[in-house]
Amino acid sequence: MTTNSSAPDAARLVTPTMIVLWLVLATVPLWITRVGLYPYLGIEILIWSLYALAFNLVLGTAGLPSFGHGAYFGIGAYAFGLCQFNLVANLWVCLAAAMLGAGLAGALVALFISHRRGIYYAFMTIAFGQIFWTVAIKAHSLTGGEDGLLKIARLPADFGVVAFNLTDNTALYYFVLVVFAVAVIALWRLVNSPYGRVIAAIKQSETRAAHLGYHVWLYKASIFTLSAAVSGLAGGLFAMAQLAAFPDVMSLHQSGYVVMMTLVGGGLVSFWGPVVGVFVFLIARDVIGALTNAWMLYFGLLFMAIVLFRPEGIAGAFAAAFQKHTLGILRRQGHSALRLLFGGERWR
Amino acid sequence: MFDLLPHLLNGLTLGLLFALIALGFMLIVGLMEQINLAHGSLFALGAYLAMQFTGSRPPLPAELAKVWLALPLGWRYAATLIIAPVIVGLVGIAIEFCMRRTYGKDPLYGLLLTFGAAMVIEEAIRLIWGTRDYVLQVPQGVSGGFLFQDLVWSTYRFYAAGIAAAIIALVWLVIEKTPFGATVKAGAHDSEIVRALGINLTRLRLLVFVLGTMLAAVAGIIVAPIWGIRPHMGVDAVIPAFLVIVLGGVGSFWGAVVAGLLVGLCVGLSGAYASEWSLLSMYILLVAVVSVRARGLWGKKSVLEA
Repeated sequence: MTTNSSAPDAARLVTPTMIVLWLVLATVPLWITRVGLYPYLGIEILIWSLYALAFNLVLGTAGLPSFGHGAYFGIGAYAFGLCQFNLVANLWVCLAAAMLGAGLAGALVALFISHRRGIYYAFMTIAFGQIFWTVAIKAHSLTGGEDGLLKIARLPADFGVVAFNLTDNTALYYFVLVVFAVAVIALWRLVNSPYGRVIAAIKQSETRAAHLGYHVWLYKASIFTLSAAVSGLAGGLFAMAQLAAFPDVMSLHQSGYVVMMTLVGGGLVSFWGPVVGVFVFLIARDVIGALTNAWMLYFGLLFMAIVLFRPEGIAGAFAAAFQKHTLGILRRQGHSALRLLFGGERWR
Repeated sequence: MFDLLPHLLNGLTLGLLFALIALGFMLIVGLMEQINLAHGSLFALGAYLAMQFTGSRPPLPAELAKVWLALPLGWRYAATLIIAPVIVGLVGIAIEFCMRRTYGKDPLYGLLLTFGAAMVIEEAIRLIWGTRDYVLQVPQGVSGGFLFQDLVWSTYRFYAAGIAAAIIALVWLVIEKTPFGATVKAGAHDSEIVRALGINLTRLRLLVFVLGTMLAAVAGIIVAPIWGIRPHMGVDAVIPAFLVIVLGGVGSFWGAVVAGLLVGLCVGLSGAYASEWSLLSMYILLVAVVSVRARGLWGKKSVLEA
């Protein structure tokens, strides 16, 4: 039951879920300190959500297991900082550089891996991820090595007539929210466009898609590049939020976290799954992490349980429960024409 | 040419160790078509357990500990080479019991499950032993160094390489020359027929998996004195293991061994010229080989590609 194949929502620009989500997100700075959390967490959640959504283009939409995505997130962060230091200190140029840098790296990798599938694909992405990570650590003069690229500034958002200062966390939150909103709508349209449908078809069967005349390699390479570029955008925002860029986010572990977030949330079955996963992951990190040092242990166990029993993740479980509920109501009301109503296939 | 000799030898010994690290991983990939990403964490767990057992405070009841500590280090070390893998094997059993549910599904699930397991084990290691570095004591006979051609050589490196070669040979004998190996290979080839012949394939798979995890632990113990013991060692092991398998080709025993040696030589020789970047060389080697030979050196078609 994928969002892109089932929902009549697919054709819409904005869905009710989106409106509720936007309302919640827009009011975060007003209530987040009241529930015992802090404004910076809101920024982190948005940035990681964007990253996870970009990652899910590859994992969920195209069904390609990429385990080295941290590289593109990290390259985005470094590109943002380097552009600021060496080129121009303009926010838009720097964010574009983050996307471009990560996109180019993604395109380069895509050249080597797009004819592969399955485990070979997974491993090649790990290998390339490790290459970028090693370079980030060893190229001291460029990236500052293990200390990272420090003193990255939160540049003002200059709209020509009016410029906003983003040094304050609340201001940065709203800026990130706007970028997130634009990116999410773009991704949503992308996934539901004819292009997105072809990608979904390739996920189901590469051979079949190829026989229908689609250039499978080109589609796989392009979706990977796009995903890398949007991850880079998230990385650029992250550099701005952190005021620095560190090689840490490029490590295998951190690349694994985004896989975990996406799967726990239900990225395989739902467009919003990764966002759910990021919420759960980061809030669990703060809440369980406050109680015990071993939060990764518990989260790891939760992750194992989800892979074993609910591979479709939280969003999938929720959707299943919801459907059962509505089905139950309809049955009680004596609707025998369920299949007519809902178009058979979906309910089997 | 002669200047390169130390690097060549260094590379060869390193290569044997890489092959040893990849051995358990290869067994599970080759015979069960499952990726065990927890391999590295089990490797680390083996090293930590060995360190604990050979150290001054073994995890034993007080009286037993006294007897144990009275033994010479050599004996304790030898016994640890068996005890630690057995304990790790028990963890392997637990993982296999979870993993059963994923057999026959997309191999991605097994990979993700073991990724979770890797994280849990690594976090458990951090909880028990903290994040500091440890040293694994080795018996006097194999520690220290010797002079040859005006250079100091580490005795342990050669001992480790020798053990690695012996274990590789042993595993080859078990897979290729015993009825057990034959059944296991048949089970990987056509599980239905093997089941129909009345062979308990579930138990056989469990055995293979446990053997693989025990080999991970042995590799951990052998490699620990060279790499040191720290929580990150698991990741440092699983990536080369994975790399060696992909380079050698899934399902090929000698492919893995040759790939291990190649990677070792590559890292050793590049270490001679640019030690900072030597780890990068193995990825470049992989990309170069896999660009030309899609399934690695001697890879066969596998369900893992789908």
